[in-house]
Amino acid sequence: MSTHTTRPASQLDVQAIRRQFPILGEKVHDRPLVFLDSAASAQKPDAVIESMANTMRHQYANIHRGLHWMSERTTEAYEGVRDLVADFLNAPSREEIVFTRNSTEAINLVAHSFGALLRPGQAVLISQMEHHANLVPWQMLRDRAGIELRVAPITDEGDLDMEAYKALLADGKVALVAITHMSNVLGTITPAQQIAEQAHAAGALVLFDGSQSVVHHRTDVQALGADFYTFTGHKLYGPTGIGVLWARRALLEDMPPFLGGGDMISTVTFERSTWANIPHKFEAGTPAIVETIGLGAAIEWVGKIGFDAIAAHEAELTAHALHRLAEVPGLNIVGHPRVRGGVVSFTMADVHPHDMATLLDRNGIAIRAGHHCAEPLMRRLGLSATARASFGIYTLKEEIDVLADTLVRIRDFFV
Amino acid sequence: MKTATAERDALYDRLIVERARTPLHAGRLDRPDVQGDGRNPLCGDKTHLDIVLDGHHIQAIRHQTRGCAICAAAADLMAEQVQGSTIVQALDMSDRFMAMLVGPSPLAVADDLPAPLGALEVFAPLRSHKARIRCAELPWIALKEAFSHVDG
Repeated sequence: MSTHTTRPASQLDVQAIRRQFPILGEKVHDRPLVFLDSAASAQKPDAVIESMANTMRHQYANIHRGLHWMSERTTEAYEGVRDLVADFLNAPSREEIVFTRNSTEAINLVAHSFGALLRPGQAVLISQMEHHANLVPWQMLRDRAGIELRVAPITDEGDLDMEAYKALLADGKVALVAITHMSNVLGTITPAQQIAEQAHAAGALVLFDGSQSVVHHRTDVQALGADFYTFTGHKLYGPTGIGVLWARRALLEDMPPFLGGGDMISTVTFERSTWANIPHKFEAGTPAIVETIGLGAAIEWVGKIGFDAIAAHEAELTAHALHRLAEVPGLNIVGHPRVRGGVVSFTMADVHPHDMATLLDRNGIAIRAGHHCAEPLMRRLGLSATARASFGIYTLKEEIDVLADTLVRIRDFFV
Repeated sequence: MKTATAERDALYDRLIVERARTPLHAGRLDRPDVQGDGRNPLCGDKTHLDIVLDGHHIQAIRHQTRGCAICAAAADLMAEQVQGSTIVQALDMSDRFMAMLVGPSPLAVADDLPAPLGALEVFAPLRSHKARIRCAELPWIALKEAFSHVDG
């Protein structure tokens, strides 16, 4: 997916897709909404909205313990999503899929439960381009468990520095490498297979934060050589409040529970409790039933379109954006990674990202501006904030043209 | 040009754009009596104030601001407005400025607080841009921080 090669023309009927997203017909400040903030959270198609509404209208009860028809049907729908997710990630088994609230909670689960198995002298290795979600839980673990937290540097282009990465693994103390599969700021798609190979060669396990990447291309946790993989539903055209942790069975079986409560136990007495089998050991309390069913609808919907078409469309959009934005006077694109997804960060000489965002918004264009929950990365880049445009399945090339044209006018206005 | 209307949004008054581009009160003072800092962790904007006092009067004030146009212009216009006033007057102006932005209603501000805010009134449209109010507030936070070091 290099941005410098020619790609096949997109096979998506983007207009037909757009008609399935009711929100894309909305106007903002009397202008058609140009939504270029999908990396923060994607919009939802009718298929997801309807599946959630239909669940609540026609087929809803608490799951797993009910002995009545409604509970049994809802349990089937909920557990059916576990099969869909296992298939979506090409996980070896459905029991390895743990539902969480989001990717942040999934990483916290690993930091807590896998972290409980770590001892002083061991280390966790992250990278300079992590979202706070894949940084703060490890700092908390470090302070709690007395382990070391190492940070692998990135190059000025925004790629993981593989030589430095290898050197940080060399002493064999790293127990876990936790790295993003795609940067939410630079768009970098990290060489996950290579990262995993080198981690394993040094005796470390590897976790990938797939929050950004699962949206843009097919994910195969076995081919990647991952040990843990996390993602969130709301960036995948699904609802908020539902995320996923996949981990290899043996790891999940060795790890102590995260949260205690109903649904995660086998037997309970006042003296002690024993834990349910995986994955239920990690799913305490009534889960996000409706949201999980919505995630299932999102995965089925994305599956029907297919990642070949999605990846081709987004590669075309990204190449177009890099080309058009480069023409805007004073605009500087932040990050030039070797392989990238549909996220482009930029700054503009003499115009602060927040002023850009406000003026773009007045033109109906939604982008993100700020530190993108990656403050240490911003410091590494020598910036306090960037503007970020991100693309989804429903993004039109024409919307990127509107962005670029409006940025030219904003520059004229300020300079 | 029809498309230009949204840029000429009331929020970005010409004065704001001019002061952000060419501030008149930016820089440092050699021997400040008090200094104040404001930092917005959400966006990384920051402003530093150097103030020379003559008794309780603000004799000289300079700001060093790294931030968006709203923040930079707010710092420059604040410095302009409070220079020569007393600490009490400056803090009163701060209250009236914030009332203009987040008070119960613009009318209430006019009724209760007849004193005009002068050039600072260019920030009034921020009322409807809640996410940006903090940008204009930052220099005033720095000012309060500076005065917290003054006895009596």
